[in-house]
Amino acid sequence: MRFEPPDDRDMLREKIIGLGETSLHKSYYPELQSRLEELERFRALLDQTHDAIFLIRTETGKLADANASAGMYLGYSKEELLAMPFASLFSPQQKARLSEFIPESGDRPSDSRQTCITSLLSREGTEIPMEITVRSVTFGGEQYIVAIARDITDRIRTESELKIKESALESSTNGILIADLTGTVMYANPGFASMFGYEQKEAITGRNLEAFFADPTLGEKITGHLLDNRTIVDEMIGLRENGSPFHIQVSGSVVQNNARQPLCIMLIVMDITERILAEQMRRETYAQIEKNIEQFAVLGDHIRNPLQVIVGYAEMIDDPLVAKILDESCRIDGIVTELDRGWVESANVRQFLRKHGDGA
Amino acid sequence: MTPRNPLDLRKFVAPEFICGSGALQLAGRYAHNFGMKQVLLVTDPGVRAAGWAGAVGESLTEAGVSFTVFDSVSVNPRSRQVMSGMEVYRSEECNGIVAVGGGSAMDCAKGIGIASSNMRDILTFEGVDRVPVPAPPLICIPTTAGSSADVSQFAIITDEERKRKIAIISKTLVPDISLLDPEPLTTMSRELTLDTGMDALCHAIEAYVSNASSPMTDMHALEAIRLIHDALPAVILEPEDLNLRFSTLLASLHAGLAFSNASLGAVHAMAHSLGGAYDLAHGRCNALLLEHVIPANYEAASEQYDRIGAIIGPVQGERTPPAEGIAAFRRSLGITGTLASVGVGEDAIQTLARRAYADPCMVTNPRRLTCEDIERIYAYAL
Ligand SMILES: [Fe+2]
Repeated sequence: MRFEPPDDRDMLREKIIGLGETSLHKSYYPELQSRLEELERFRALLDQTHDAIFLIRTETGKLADANASAGMYLGYSKEELLAMPFASLFSPQQKARLSEFIPESGDRPSDSRQTCITSLLSREGTEIPMEITVRSVTFGGEQYIVAIARDITDRIRTESELKIKESALESSTNGILIADLTGTVMYANPGFASMFGYEQKEAITGRNLEAFFADPTLGEKITGHLLDNRTIVDEMIGLRENGSPFHIQVSGSVVQNNARQPLCIMLIVMDITERILAEQMRRETYAQIEKNIEQFAVLGDHIRNPLQVIVGYAEMIDDPLVAKILDESCRIDGIVTELDRGWVESANVRQFLRKHGDGA
Repeated sequence: MTPRNPLDLRKFVAPEFICGSGALQLAGRYAHNFGMKQVLLVTDPGVRAAGWAGAVGESLTEAGVSFTVFDSVSVNPRSRQVMSGMEVYRSEECNGIVAVGGGSAMDCAKGIGIASSNMRDILTFEGVDRVPVPAPPLICIPTTAGSSADVSQFAIITDEERKRKIAIISKTLVPDISLLDPEPLTTMSRELTLDTGMDALCHAIEAYVSNASSPMTDMHALEAIRLIHDALPAVILEPEDLNLRFSTLLASLHAGLAFSNASLGAVHAMAHSLGGAYDLAHGRCNALLLEHVIPANYEAASEQYDRIGAIIGPVQGERTPPAEGIAAFRRSLGITGTLASVGVGEDAIQTLARRAYADPCMVTNPRRLTCEDIERIYAYAL
């Protein structure tokens, strides 16, 4: 034994007698206390989660444990829950549909994790849509099933809202294109596909914007412009799959997240070929009319000149018919004057029309 | 009696105990080592007034352990007191119990412990081995030298509704540590010293003649009888003498180790029945019954009784009928009176006997007594 100075020996002797500060007979209590605290902490954690958690005895189908959320969703106290078979938390229709998931007493559940969408029956009888994940586990030689139920009321609502939005996009006659910030197409609606002559809209995704314009540099210009200015409205020449060009109007915007950072760009495309052609036709018609009327004015002069000659000659001769000739010449002049006035009036109308657009 | 074979299986359970001057001051250290954070300090008003509960409280505070005092404990602790102690234990979120006091405070503390760990009414534990969940750790600091509740597997609780005592016997009731300090004994009255001393003597004698005794319990029982015989008369004369007080404390410890393992007999069975019905001091009941039980039992354990007689007899070494020796010892201490003088009537005997007959202590009595036997003993003691 090592040499101990006398003071240490006294202390050692005390310890051997069992009077040391930490001399204690074997007891698991302190350790048990700290484990219990740990367990309580964990329990609090489970109770804090939004998911309802159930522990079910496989043999009896009864609940062995449930967290606070389970009681909260369903409106039962924990004591009440623990006295109930898990299956009684489902409506009869759900129970029949989900017999492989919901353990009744004695059922052998499968070992793998399974998820199903169903609904739980609250105390008041309302059905709460839930996504339930069940899994079989063994604790201390006894078989249990852990069921974790997530309330999907919000998810279902969001999904149906999304569905509406999606079908609106899908059914729009305008072409709708969503591309990432580099111009790669992520989505094109059927309207876009048919406008650009694609058989399947899937053939569009993954392509770059440049593929859809006669001017291949336009794609890059559009994305650049959108990133700088957020929106764009312009008329351009689109290019169909078969290479034929056509007139389109493009309105684009940048889709942003909540932090106002750009996520992607969206283009709404309208085929404006008909409008452009109509405008062209109108323009040509106006030009023709103008030309006709100018010719008409010249025609008036052409009529008046020989008429003046006729009047001059008639005044020189003395004949009872002269008065008749002059009368008729006056009438012709009147008609030509009427025609001139009509031309001026129609010129005013044309001017008005030009000013106010529609030539129809 | 059940024939005794030295090879019969026996078990000996003893808690950790520390005895000597200043043991009381170790309460805080042990509470801390047991992981107690909030202690229920169970005591009674008398012990509190004498300052011993305060001294233990100081030790707890020094060790950084918080505590709540529960002192609604009477002589012959009631089930209702146990249950209200349990309420305090739970509401204060205690995780350990320290008992400072005599048998009443310690039995009440044991009751509070098992009632709170099992969340059940204390009366439902009546009988042997009926405590499924062990109690939280219990530290005992006895302030009397007699009950030995600090080392025993017994708790005696009074069912006040039915005016009877129930015995709860379970190894889970054995405290975790007993701190045996002679100093708190110095504030005991003469009467309490005598009653508790006679209780210890009965423990030793009944354990020694018990049909569950063993060489291990015999050794402790005989040493306890010797120590009480020598120290009890002396400590009455010099109540402040720490050495004499310590002898009585050691006697009680020996008796406790003996009876906790060998159990008791007819004296205690009958004293429980008496105490429950009349709310009498337990030690006094024993003192008045002991000399009347011995003749009834004598034939079944004559050798043991003779050895006791040889120790207790008026002149040591001389053969005196043991019952006479005991009676003389009692009288020499100034304990007089009979059951009649403490208010027991003849008409009560039948009920008392029936209850004593059903008491678990009767199981280890050296002789199988009938109800009529027990009635006769009560009648002698009137
Ligand atoms: Fe006793």
